[in-house]
Amino acid sequence: MPEAIPSTEAYLMLSGTLFAVGLIGVIIRRNMITVLMAIELMMNAVNINLVAFSHRFASLEGQVFTIFVITVAAGEAAVGLAIIIQLYRLKSSINVDEASELNG
Amino acid sequence: MTQSYFPILIMLILAVVIGATILGLNWVLGRHQRNPSKLSPYESGVPPLDENRKRINVRFYQIAMLFILFDIEAAFLYPWAVIYRDAAQGPSGMFLFGEMAVFIGLLAVGYVYVWKKKAFDWH
Amino acid sequence: MNAAFLVFFVVGTIAVASSILVVAMRNPVHSALFLLLTFLCVAILFVVKDAEFVAAVQVLVYAGGIMVLFLFVVMLINVRHLPDDRTLSRFWKGGVGVGLAIFLLLATVVRTGTYHDQNPNKKLLRSTASHRVRKVTNPDGSVTRKRVVRHRTVGNSEAVGMALYQDYLVPFEVASLFLLVAMIGAIVIGKRELSAPEEETSPDFILKRMETEKDVKEAMSA
Repeated sequence: MPEAIPSTEAYLMLSGTLFAVGLIGVIIRRNMITVLMAIELMMNAVNINLVAFSHRFASLEGQVFTIFVITVAAGEAAVGLAIIIQLYRLKSSINVDEASELNG
Repeated sequence: MTQSYFPILIMLILAVVIGATILGLNWVLGRHQRNPSKLSPYESGVPPLDENRKRINVRFYQIAMLFILFDIEAAFLYPWAVIYRDAAQGPSGMFLFGEMAVFIGLLAVGYVYVWKKKAFDWH
Repeated sequence: MNAAFLVFFVVGTIAVASSILVVAMRNPVHSALFLLLTFLCVAILFVVKDAEFVAAVQVLVYAGGIMVLFLFVVMLINVRHLPDDRTLSRFWKGGVGVGLAIFLLLATVVRTGTYHDQNPNKKLLRSTASHRVRKVTNPDGSVTRKRVVRHRTVGNSEAVGMALYQDYLVPFEVASLFLLVAMIGAIVIGKRELSAPEEETSPDFILKRMETEKDVKEAMSA
Protein backbone atom coordinates (compact mmCIF):
# COMPACT_ATOMS: atom_id res chain seq x y z
CA MET A 1 0.00 0.00 0.00
CA PRO A 2 1.74 3.19 -1.13
CA GLU A 3 1.62 6.10 1.20
CA ALA A 4 -0.96 8.67 0.13
CA ILE A 5 0.56 12.10 -0.37
CA PRO A 6 -0.78 15.30 -1.96
CA SER A 7 -1.25 14.96 -5.69
CA THR A 8 0.86 16.54 -8.42
CA GLU A 9 -2.01 18.90 -9.26
CA ALA A 10 -2.03 20.34 -5.76
CA TYR A 11 1.69 21.06 -6.04
CA LEU A 12 1.24 22.62 -9.46
CA MET A 13 -1.49 24.92 -8.16
CA LEU A 14 0.70 25.99 -5.25
CA SER A 15 3.62 26.62 -7.56
CA GLY A 16 1.40 28.61 -9.93
CA THR A 17 0.21 30.77 -7.04
CA LEU A 18 3.75 31.47 -5.86
CA PHE A 19 4.82 32.25 -9.42
CA ALA A 20 1.95 34.71 -9.92
CA VAL A 21 2.72 36.43 -6.60
CA GLY A 22 6.38 36.72 -7.60
CA LEU A 23 5.45 38.12 -10.99
CA ILE A 24 3.17 40.72 -9.41
CA GLY A 25 6.00 41.66 -7.07
CA VAL A 26 8.46 42.09 -9.94
CA ILE A 27 6.08 44.38 -11.80
CA ILE A 28 4.57 46.52 -9.07
CA ARG A 29 7.40 47.10 -6.61
CA ARG A 30 9.80 49.99 -7.02
CA ASN A 31 12.39 48.90 -4.48
CA MET A 32 15.06 47.02 -6.41
CA ILE A 33 15.90 44.64 -3.55
CA THR A 34 12.27 43.58 -3.25
CA VAL A 35 12.15 43.02 -7.01
CA LEU A 36 15.14 40.67 -6.70
CA MET A 37 13.40 38.86 -3.83
CA ALA A 38 10.31 38.40 -6.00
CA ILE A 39 12.51 36.86 -8.70
CA GLU A 40 13.85 34.40 -6.14
CA LEU A 41 10.24 33.61 -5.25
CA MET A 42 9.48 32.79 -8.89
CA MET A 43 12.53 30.51 -9.09
CA ASN A 44 11.31 28.69 -6.00
CA ALA A 45 7.93 28.18 -7.66
CA VAL A 46 9.68 26.59 -10.62
CA ASN A 47 11.62 24.34 -8.23
CA ILE A 48 8.37 23.12 -6.67
CA ASN A 49 7.14 22.24 -10.15
CA LEU A 50 10.30 20.31 -10.98
CA VAL A 51 10.24 18.34 -7.76
CA ALA A 52 6.54 17.50 -8.16
CA PHE A 53 7.09 16.14 -11.67
CA SER A 54 10.21 14.31 -10.56
CA HIS A 55 8.07 12.48 -8.03
CA ARG A 56 5.26 11.95 -10.52
CA PHE A 57 7.48 10.27 -13.11
CA ALA A 58 9.78 8.62 -10.56
CA SER A 59 12.79 10.13 -12.24
CA LEU A 60 15.66 11.95 -10.58
CA GLU A 61 16.17 14.41 -13.42
CA GLY A 62 13.83 16.97 -11.88
CA GLN A 63 15.75 16.96 -8.61
CA VAL A 64 19.11 17.29 -10.36
CA PHE A 65 17.77 20.20 -12.38
CA THR A 66 16.44 21.82 -9.20
CA ILE A 67 19.97 21.84 -7.80
CA PHE A 68 21.19 23.62 -10.92
CA VAL A 69 18.37 26.15 -10.61
CA ILE A 70 19.43 26.83 -7.02
CA THR A 71 23.02 27.32 -8.20
CA VAL A 72 21.89 29.82 -10.83
CA ALA A 73 19.72 31.61 -8.25
CA ALA A 74 22.70 32.03 -5.94
CA GLY A 75 24.91 33.42 -8.68
CA GLU A 76 22.14 35.70 -9.84
CA ALA A 77 21.62 37.03 -6.31
CA ALA A 78 25.35 37.72 -5.89
CA VAL A 79 25.75 39.60 -9.17
CA GLY A 80 22.34 41.31 -8.98
CA LEU A 81 23.01 42.65 -5.50
CA ALA A 82 26.45 43.87 -6.62
CA ILE A 83 24.72 45.78 -9.42
CA ILE A 84 22.23 47.22 -6.93
CA ILE A 85 25.04 48.41 -4.65
CA GLN A 86 26.85 50.04 -7.55
CA LEU A 87 23.65 51.70 -8.75
CA TYR A 88 23.02 52.99 -5.25
CA ARG A 89 26.48 54.55 -5.17
CA LEU A 90 25.79 56.19 -8.49
CA LYS A 91 22.31 57.52 -7.79
CA SER A 92 21.81 57.28 -3.99
CA SER A 93 18.54 55.51 -4.71
CA ILE A 94 17.46 51.93 -5.30
CA ASN A 95 14.33 52.89 -7.13
CA VAL A 96 13.79 50.91 -10.32
CA ASP A 97 12.36 53.93 -12.10
CA GLU A 98 15.56 55.91 -11.56
CA ALA A 99 17.61 53.54 -13.68
CA SER A 100 16.13 54.45 -17.01
CA GLU A 101 19.05 55.89 -18.99
CA LEU A 102 18.83 53.14 -21.59
CA ASN A 103 15.16 53.88 -22.05
CA GLY A 104 15.37 55.67 -25.39
CA MET B 1 9.56 6.99 3.85
CA THR B 2 8.30 10.46 4.69
CA GLN B 3 7.20 8.97 8.00
CA SER B 4 10.78 9.07 9.23
CA TYR B 5 10.54 12.87 9.30
CA PHE B 6 7.73 12.76 11.83
CA PRO B 7 10.04 13.59 14.79
CA ILE B 8 11.21 16.74 13.00
CA LEU B 9 7.59 17.76 12.50
CA ILE B 10 6.92 17.26 16.20
CA MET B 11 10.03 19.30 17.01
CA LEU B 12 8.83 22.14 14.76
CA ILE B 13 5.39 22.14 16.36
CA LEU B 14 6.93 22.10 19.84
CA ALA B 15 9.22 25.00 18.95
CA VAL B 16 6.30 27.09 17.72
CA VAL B 17 4.13 26.16 20.73
CA ILE B 18 6.86 26.95 23.27
CA GLY B 19 7.72 30.25 21.64
CA ALA B 20 4.08 31.28 21.40
CA THR B 21 3.42 30.20 24.99
CA ILE B 22 6.31 32.20 26.42
CA LEU B 23 5.44 35.33 24.47
CA GLY B 24 1.72 34.89 25.14
CA LEU B 25 2.17 34.43 28.89
CA ASN B 26 4.36 37.50 28.95
CA TRP B 27 1.68 39.46 27.22
CA VAL B 28 -1.18 38.13 29.36
CA LEU B 29 0.48 38.24 32.78
CA GLY B 30 2.74 41.26 32.38
CA ARG B 31 1.65 44.79 33.02
CA HIS B 32 1.41 47.00 29.98
CA GLN B 33 3.00 50.29 30.75
CA ARG B 34 4.17 52.62 28.06
CA ASN B 35 6.09 55.58 29.33
CA PRO B 36 9.03 57.22 27.58
CA SER B 37 11.70 55.62 29.74
CA LYS B 38 10.17 52.16 29.27
CA LEU B 39 10.26 52.54 25.52
CA SER B 40 13.82 53.83 25.36
CA PRO B 41 16.48 51.40 24.13
CA TYR B 42 18.24 51.08 27.53
CA GLU B 43 15.77 51.66 30.32
CA SER B 44 18.29 52.44 33.03
CA GLY B 45 21.35 52.91 30.88
CA VAL B 46 22.93 55.77 29.04
CA PRO B 47 20.89 57.35 26.27
CA PRO B 48 22.18 56.15 22.89
CA LEU B 49 24.68 58.46 21.26
CA ASP B 50 23.61 57.76 17.72
CA GLU B 51 20.96 56.01 15.68
CA ASN B 52 21.02 52.23 15.80
CA ARG B 53 20.32 51.78 12.12
CA LYS B 54 23.78 52.57 10.94
CA ARG B 55 24.94 51.71 7.50
CA ILE B 56 27.22 48.67 7.59
CA ASN B 57 30.44 48.33 5.69
CA VAL B 58 30.43 47.02 2.13
CA ARG B 59 33.05 44.45 3.20
CA PHE B 60 30.29 42.39 4.80
CA TYR B 61 28.60 42.07 1.43
CA GLN B 62 31.76 40.86 -0.27
CA ILE B 63 32.41 38.22 2.37
CA ALA B 64 28.78 37.03 2.25
CA MET B 65 28.89 36.89 -1.54
CA LEU B 66 32.01 34.73 -1.53
CA PHE B 67 30.45 32.59 1.20
CA ILE B 68 27.41 31.81 -0.98
CA LEU B 69 29.46 30.78 -3.97
CA PHE B 70 31.63 28.43 -1.92
CA ASP B 71 28.51 27.26 -0.08
CA ILE B 72 27.17 25.99 -3.41
CA GLU B 73 30.45 24.21 -3.96
CA ALA B 74 30.06 22.48 -0.60
CA ALA B 75 26.50 21.51 -1.52
CA PHE B 76 27.83 19.84 -4.67
CA LEU B 77 30.49 18.05 -2.65
CA TYR B 78 28.03 16.26 -0.34
CA PRO B 79 26.51 13.78 -2.82
CA TRP B 80 29.92 13.27 -4.39
CA ALA B 81 31.40 12.33 -1.03
CA VAL B 82 28.48 9.98 -0.38
CA ILE B 83 28.95 8.03 -3.60
CA TYR B 84 32.74 8.22 -3.87
CA ARG B 85 33.51 5.74 -1.13
CA ASP B 86 31.74 2.91 -2.88
CA ALA B 87 32.74 3.98 -6.36
CA ALA B 88 36.43 4.28 -5.51
CA GLN B 89 36.82 0.52 -5.67
CA GLY B 90 34.97 0.21 -8.94
CA PRO B 91 35.92 1.26 -12.45
CA SER B 92 34.26 4.69 -12.18
CA GLY B 93 36.46 5.78 -9.28
CA MET B 94 39.02 7.67 -11.35
CA PHE B 95 36.25 9.17 -13.47
CA LEU B 96 34.51 10.60 -10.42
CA PHE B 97 37.79 11.82 -9.01
CA GLY B 98 38.76 13.61 -12.23
CA GLU B 99 35.30 15.15 -12.52
CA MET B 100 35.49 16.65 -9.06
CA ALA B 101 39.12 17.69 -9.62
CA VAL B 102 38.07 19.76 -12.65
CA PHE B 103 35.20 21.29 -10.65
CA ILE B 104 37.40 22.27 -7.72
CA GLY B 105 40.17 23.37 -10.07
CA LEU B 106 37.89 25.84 -11.83
CA LEU B 107 36.71 27.23 -8.51
CA ALA B 108 40.32 27.41 -7.28
CA VAL B 109 41.04 29.74 -10.20
CA GLY B 110 38.30 32.01 -8.86
CA TYR B 111 39.71 31.67 -5.35
CA VAL B 112 43.16 32.76 -6.50
CA TYR B 113 41.63 35.67 -8.41
CA VAL B 114 39.68 36.80 -5.35
CA TRP B 115 42.82 36.47 -3.23
CA LYS B 116 44.87 38.56 -5.67
CA LYS B 117 42.13 41.20 -5.73
CA LYS B 118 42.49 41.39 -1.94
CA ALA B 119 38.79 40.80 -1.36
CA PHE B 120 39.65 38.75 1.71
CA ASP B 121 41.56 41.58 3.36
CA TRP B 122 39.53 43.71 5.68
CA HIS B 123 41.53 46.89 5.17
CA MET C 1 -6.90 12.96 5.42
CA ASN C 2 -3.56 11.74 6.63
CA ALA C 3 -0.54 13.54 8.05
CA ALA C 4 1.03 14.32 4.66
CA PHE C 5 -2.10 16.13 3.46
CA LEU C 6 -2.36 18.07 6.70
CA VAL C 7 1.28 19.13 6.43
CA PHE C 8 0.75 20.12 2.81
CA PHE C 9 -2.27 22.30 3.53
CA VAL C 10 -0.83 24.02 6.60
CA VAL C 11 2.64 24.57 5.15
CA GLY C 12 1.32 25.50 1.71
CA THR C 13 -1.00 28.09 3.24
CA ILE C 14 1.86 29.58 5.25
CA ALA C 15 4.04 29.63 2.12
CA VAL C 16 1.46 31.46 0.02
CA ALA C 17 0.59 33.92 2.81
CA SER C 18 4.24 34.77 3.51
CA SER C 19 5.00 35.12 -0.20
CA ILE C 20 2.20 37.66 -0.47
CA LEU C 21 3.67 39.47 2.53
CA VAL C 22 7.11 39.49 0.84
CA VAL C 23 5.58 41.54 -1.94
CA ALA C 24 3.35 43.64 0.31
CA MET C 25 5.75 44.73 3.07
CA ARG C 26 7.13 48.25 2.86
CA ASN C 27 10.28 47.56 4.84
CA PRO C 28 12.77 45.38 2.90
CA VAL C 29 13.96 43.72 6.13
CA HIS C 30 10.43 42.43 6.77
CA SER C 31 10.23 41.26 3.16
CA ALA C 32 13.50 39.36 3.57
CA LEU C 33 12.32 37.63 6.75
CA PHE C 34 9.05 36.56 5.12
CA LEU C 35 11.05 35.32 2.14
CA LEU C 36 13.03 33.18 4.57
CA LEU C 37 9.78 31.72 5.93
CA THR C 38 8.64 30.94 2.38
CA PHE C 39 11.92 29.15 1.62
CA LEU C 40 11.66 27.02 4.74
CA CYS C 41 8.04 26.08 3.91
CA VAL C 42 9.08 25.11 0.38
CA ALA C 43 11.83 22.92 1.86
CA ILE C 44 9.18 21.08 3.92
CA LEU C 45 7.11 20.60 0.76
CA PHE C 46 10.16 19.08 -0.94
CA VAL C 47 10.51 16.57 1.88
CA VAL C 48 6.86 15.53 1.43
CA LYS C 49 7.67 14.77 -2.23
CA ASP C 50 10.64 12.54 -1.32
CA ALA C 51 13.31 15.06 -2.32
CA GLU C 52 15.31 15.23 0.88
CA PHE C 53 18.61 16.24 -0.63
CA VAL C 54 17.06 19.12 -2.55
CA ALA C 55 15.35 20.23 0.67
CA ALA C 56 18.69 20.22 2.47
CA VAL C 57 20.33 22.24 -0.30
CA GLN C 58 17.39 24.64 -0.22
CA VAL C 59 17.88 25.30 3.49
CA LEU C 60 21.67 25.42 3.19
CA VAL C 61 21.91 27.72 0.19
CA TYR C 62 18.72 29.78 0.23
CA ALA C 63 18.08 30.14 3.93
CA GLY C 64 21.74 30.11 4.91
CA GLY C 65 23.42 32.01 2.12
CA ILE C 66 21.13 34.06 -0.06
CA MET C 67 19.11 35.46 2.84
CA VAL C 68 22.28 36.62 4.62
CA LEU C 69 23.36 38.36 1.43
CA PHE C 70 19.98 40.06 1.08
CA LEU C 71 19.99 41.22 4.70
CA PHE C 72 23.53 42.57 4.42
CA VAL C 73 22.62 44.53 1.32
CA VAL C 74 19.44 45.87 2.94
CA MET C 75 21.48 47.08 5.92
CA LEU C 76 24.20 48.40 3.64
CA ILE C 77 21.80 50.52 1.68
CA ASN C 78 19.42 51.28 4.56
CA VAL C 79 16.99 53.56 2.80
CA ARG C 80 14.60 55.33 5.08
CA HIS C 81 11.14 55.46 3.67
CA LEU C 82 9.70 58.90 3.69
CA PRO C 83 6.04 58.88 4.69
CA ASP C 84 4.91 60.08 1.28
CA ASP C 85 7.32 57.87 -0.66
CA ARG C 86 5.39 55.69 -3.03
CA THR C 87 6.13 51.98 -2.67
CA LEU C 88 4.28 50.86 -5.75
CA SER C 89 5.06 51.48 -9.34
CA ARG C 90 2.87 53.71 -11.51
CA PHE C 91 1.32 50.82 -13.35
CA TRP C 92 0.57 48.64 -10.33
CA LYS C 93 -2.97 47.97 -11.50
CA GLY C 94 -1.67 46.53 -14.76
CA GLY C 95 0.88 44.47 -12.83
CA VAL C 96 -1.76 42.91 -10.60
CA GLY C 97 -3.87 42.25 -13.70
CA VAL C 98 -1.02 40.47 -15.48
CA GLY C 99 -0.30 38.40 -12.37
CA LEU C 100 -3.91 37.35 -11.97
CA ALA C 101 -4.11 36.52 -15.67
CA ILE C 102 -1.04 34.28 -15.44
CA PHE C 103 -2.52 32.64 -12.35
CA LEU C 104 -5.82 31.97 -14.13
CA LEU C 105 -3.95 30.60 -17.13
CA LEU C 106 -1.94 28.20 -14.96
CA ALA C 107 -5.06 27.23 -13.01
CA THR C 108 -6.93 26.30 -16.17
CA VAL C 109 -3.99 24.30 -17.50
CA VAL C 110 -3.68 22.39 -14.22
CA ARG C 111 -7.01 20.68 -13.81
CA THR C 112 -7.69 17.83 -11.49
CA GLY C 113 -6.99 14.56 -13.17
CA THR C 114 -4.75 15.99 -15.87
CA TYR C 115 -1.82 14.02 -14.53
CA HIS C 116 -3.17 10.67 -13.49
CA ASP C 117 -1.08 9.41 -10.65
CA GLN C 118 -0.59 5.90 -11.88
CA ASN C 119 1.64 4.97 -8.99
CA PRO C 120 5.04 4.91 -10.62
CA ASN C 121 7.79 3.01 -8.92
CA LYS C 122 8.79 5.44 -6.18
CA LYS C 123 11.73 3.24 -5.33
CA LEU C 124 13.53 4.67 -8.36
CA LEU C 125 13.90 7.94 -6.49
CA ARG C 126 16.15 6.23 -4.00
CA SER C 127 18.03 3.72 -6.03
CA THR C 128 21.18 3.77 -8.08
CA ALA C 129 21.57 1.90 -11.34
CA SER C 130 25.01 0.46 -11.91
CA HIS C 131 26.02 -1.27 -15.10
CA ARG C 132 28.21 -4.25 -14.69
CA VAL C 133 29.62 -6.51 -17.34
CA ARG C 134 29.43 -10.05 -16.19
CA LYS C 135 31.11 -12.99 -17.81
CA VAL C 136 28.68 -15.79 -18.40
CA THR C 137 29.88 -19.26 -19.16
CA ASN C 138 27.52 -20.87 -21.62
CA PRO C 139 26.71 -24.60 -21.43
CA ASP C 140 28.95 -25.29 -24.42
CA GLY C 141 31.97 -23.82 -22.69
CA SER C 142 32.20 -20.47 -24.52
CA VAL C 143 32.34 -17.26 -22.50
CA THR C 144 30.11 -14.32 -23.41
CA ARG C 145 29.99 -10.93 -21.82
CA LYS C 146 26.62 -9.83 -20.62
CA ARG C 147 25.62 -6.37 -19.47
CA VAL C 148 23.52 -6.36 -16.34
CA VAL C 149 21.85 -3.40 -14.71
CA ARG C 150 21.72 -3.62 -11.00
CA HIS C 151 19.35 -1.42 -9.03
CA ARG C 152 20.39 -0.85 -5.48
CA THR C 153 18.20 0.86 -2.91
CA VAL C 154 20.10 3.68 -1.26
CA GLY C 155 19.39 7.08 0.25
CA ASN C 156 18.08 10.00 -1.74
CA SER C 157 21.34 11.96 -1.71
CA GLU C 158 23.26 8.94 -2.98
CA ALA C 159 20.73 8.49 -5.79
CA VAL C 160 20.93 12.18 -6.69
CA GLY C 161 24.72 11.94 -6.58
CA MET C 162 24.76 9.03 -9.01
CA ALA C 163 22.43 10.84 -11.41
CA LEU C 164 24.36 14.10 -11.07
CA TYR C 165 27.87 12.75 -11.52
CA GLN C 166 27.22 10.09 -14.13
CA ASP C 167 24.44 11.37 -16.37
CA TYR C 168 24.90 15.12 -15.90
CA LEU C 169 28.64 15.51 -16.16
CA VAL C 170 28.69 18.47 -18.54
CA PRO C 171 26.05 20.58 -16.73
CA PHE C 172 27.99 19.97 -13.52
CA GLU C 173 31.23 21.30 -14.97
CA VAL C 174 29.38 24.19 -16.59
CA ALA C 175 27.96 24.98 -13.14
CA SER C 176 31.50 25.35 -11.81
CA LEU C 177 32.31 27.66 -14.73
CA PHE C 178 29.16 29.62 -13.91
CA LEU C 179 30.22 29.98 -10.28
CA LEU C 180 33.65 31.18 -11.41
CA VAL C 181 32.11 33.81 -13.68
CA ALA C 182 29.69 34.91 -10.95
CA MET C 183 32.57 35.27 -8.49
CA ILE C 184 34.68 37.36 -10.85
CA GLY C 185 31.69 39.40 -11.95
CA ALA C 186 30.58 40.20 -8.43
CA ILE C 187 34.11 41.20 -7.41
CA VAL C 188 34.55 43.40 -10.47
CA ILE C 189 31.15 45.06 -10.17
CA GLY C 190 31.19 45.40 -6.41
CA LYS C 191 34.73 46.73 -6.36
CA ARG C 192 35.37 48.95 -3.42
CA GLU C 193 35.70 52.64 -3.99
CA LEU C 194 35.11 54.93 -1.11
CA SER C 195 32.10 57.04 -1.90
CA ALA C 196 30.59 59.75 0.21
CA PRO C 197 27.91 57.72 2.01
CA GLU C 198 30.30 54.87 2.61
CA GLU C 199 33.07 56.96 4.04
CA GLU C 200 30.82 57.56 7.05
CA THR C 201 31.49 54.03 8.28
CA SER C 202 35.26 54.06 7.90
CA PRO C 203 36.98 53.89 11.32
CA ASP C 204 38.87 57.14 10.71
CA PHE C 205 35.67 59.00 10.08
CA ILE C 206 34.01 57.65 13.20
CA LEU C 207 37.04 58.48 15.36
CA LYS C 208 37.17 61.98 13.96
CA ARG C 209 33.47 62.43 14.56
CA MET C 210 33.71 61.25 18.16
CA GLU C 211 36.54 63.72 18.78
CA THR C 212 34.49 66.51 17.27
CA GLU C 213 31.56 65.63 19.50
CA LYS C 214 33.83 65.62 22.54
CA ASP C 215 35.19 69.04 21.59
CA VAL C 216 31.69 70.40 21.14
CA LYS C 217 30.59 69.07 24.53
CA GLU C 218 33.65 70.55 26.25
CA ALA C 219 33.09 73.86 24.56
CA MET C 220 29.46 73.85 25.66
CA SER C 221 30.20 72.96 29.27
CA ALA C 222 32.98 75.54 29.46
